[in-house]
Amino acid sequence: MATAQTAVARPTAPVELRRASAGLWSDALYRLRRDPTTIAALGTLLLLVLLSASADLLADNVFQWSFSKQDILSSYEKPSLSEPAMVLGSDELGRSQVVRLLYGGRVSLSVGAFAALVSMTIGVLLGISAGYFRGWWDDVVVWLVQTLANIPTLYLLLLIGAYFRLNPVTLTLLLGLLGWLGINNLSRGQTFALREREYVVAARTIGATPWRVMTRHIFPNVLPLLIVVAMIDVGAVILTESALSYLGFGIQPPVPSWGNMLTNATQYSSRAAWLIYAPGAMIFITVLCLYLVGDGLRDALDPRLRGSIGGAAATKKTA
Amino acid sequence: MGRFIARRLVQAVPTLFGILLLTFLLSRLSPADPVKLMVAGNFDITPEDRAVLYHDLGLDDPLPIQFVHFLGDVARLNFGNSFYYHRPVVELIGERIPNSLQLSLLSLLLALAIGVPLGVIAAYNRGKLADHVIRITSVAGHAVPTFWFGLLFVTILGVQLRWFPIGSMNVVGVDCVFCWDRLWHIVGPVITLSLTGIAAYPRYLRTEVLEIIRQDYVRTAQSKGLRDRSIAVGHVLRNSLIPVVTLLGGILTIILGGSVVIERVFNWPGLGRLLFDGLVNKDYPMVQASVIIGALLLLVSYILRDIAYAWVDPRIKVR
Repeated sequence: MATAQTAVARPTAPVELRRASAGLWSDALYRLRRDPTTIAALGTLLLLVLLSASADLLADNVFQWSFSKQDILSSYEKPSLSEPAMVLGSDELGRSQVVRLLYGGRVSLSVGAFAALVSMTIGVLLGISAGYFRGWWDDVVVWLVQTLANIPTLYLLLLIGAYFRLNPVTLTLLLGLLGWLGINNLSRGQTFALREREYVVAARTIGATPWRVMTRHIFPNVLPLLIVVAMIDVGAVILTESALSYLGFGIQPPVPSWGNMLTNATQYSSRAAWLIYAPGAMIFITVLCLYLVGDGLRDALDPRLRGSIGGAAATKKTA
Repeated sequence: MGRFIARRLVQAVPTLFGILLLTFLLSRLSPADPVKLMVAGNFDITPEDRAVLYHDLGLDDPLPIQFVHFLGDVARLNFGNSFYYHRPVVELIGERIPNSLQLSLLSLLLALAIGVPLGVIAAYNRGKLADHVIRITSVAGHAVPTFWFGLLFVTILGVQLRWFPIGSMNVVGVDCVFCWDRLWHIVGPVITLSLTGIAAYPRYLRTEVLEIIRQDYVRTAQSKGLRDRSIAVGHVLRNSLIPVVTLLGGILTIILGGSVVIERVFNWPGLGRLLFDGLVNKDYPMVQASVIIGALLLLVSYILRDIAYAWVDPRIKVR
């Protein structure tokens, strides 16, 4: 019977399974290397990070135009190759669009990354502990999640943005403080399932402390999924930040961010439409790459999950 | 069903309390002085007048007492007068709610009308061209900043090609709700606001439909000799209503939250626009009321969603 089954199963088994398994991470790496879309997205992402990280260097040497340098005589310059700083044109004050995009990328990317880090930390801590201890603590966490989920995040951000003056650091913290719901739900659900597994029960039986069970036995099993969600999260935060900055309550000028570059651009849309295209396209490309990498990582880490947490991305988007 | 609804309403109470507590605390923790904002521009105000105003507003009471008064005000829908319009906030919001409802309901319908069939088509054509095209557009639809999509719509189709108006609800002088003029104005905001839903449904539904196709009852239907079309409609689509309703919560949040940005982009005079104007004018009663009303609308739509959930999936009622 067993041989009959393997004979049937073999032709349908994916090629990658023929390779002997060498552990979760190296298997994932193996599959990832055979996924051109994810590699391309990852490459684009790294390039964007590199470019924005070297914004100072590029602005001084290549473009020779600082992000705040104004030149009224060359305002509304159309994109042209005449001057390096004008490849993407200039805005109403004659500031170089390409240099401002680089600096904006620095802000948007770091706000996204650090806010996601904050929300990962909160979400994992609350999710795993609520799933593990259950009882009243779980009730408290669920109440918090439901309350926050019931206020549109953007409303809450605007409300806080109106009452308190936000700088990039507090904005990042705030975005992190409001963005942990998805990660919490995911790790709480996973913990619920994992805590009844034999190896967790065994660890508890031999007297492992709750902290040890959570950090050594549950967290490593939640981690692969978290990495995937983290990618989606960074993308979602970048979208939220850009919408908030576009409305004028996020990153404040003169610090450029991709979102606040669009605030002014709309006033001049009939005169300088190119000011609208580039910043939005940067947000779009960045978030697209993050989502593609997230999808690719998910498939690489666990092919069975293909398509399963796509819905999580849907509910993350706030703007 | 009656018992289920009653239980769901009781469950909403702690959430409601959380929303009100959060909005109350934020307004009280704010460094902004409401009396100062109220009398802005009046230079003949004496400190004694200020003290009287302070006492009248109840701002010299202890915080818990203030919260109880606040709850009483909310229960009577008394949100005070707008600092900017000098009219009761409730009246102003009441005038805007129909505009917001028209926009969000149409967006929801469009998202369902396009997203759900796309998800089913993708699942039925798994691995074929249609599936790939739908998946790519779906990821792209997730990653695109919605407000930028709206800006592109306004810039390209409004400003440059002049096919669509660039904002507001009606041509000047026309005032109608269900007419061609309104339809012509609402196309842009509705498409933009439903974009995330259109992108989210195929992604989420595809997996669910694939799961349903594999179920025994579908195989039974096939072996009974039912036509593929009637299986797709009678068995598959009917059961995929459950995931459709599941995702509804996230989509509703996105539509309500996104309306602040989209109503700004398209200059649509709805609740979101009122909130934004309130923020710009530092009209705190307006801002607070809009956030609370927005959260209440979301709470009500979540309850409606859960009722719909129990209706499509009777198992829910028992739990």
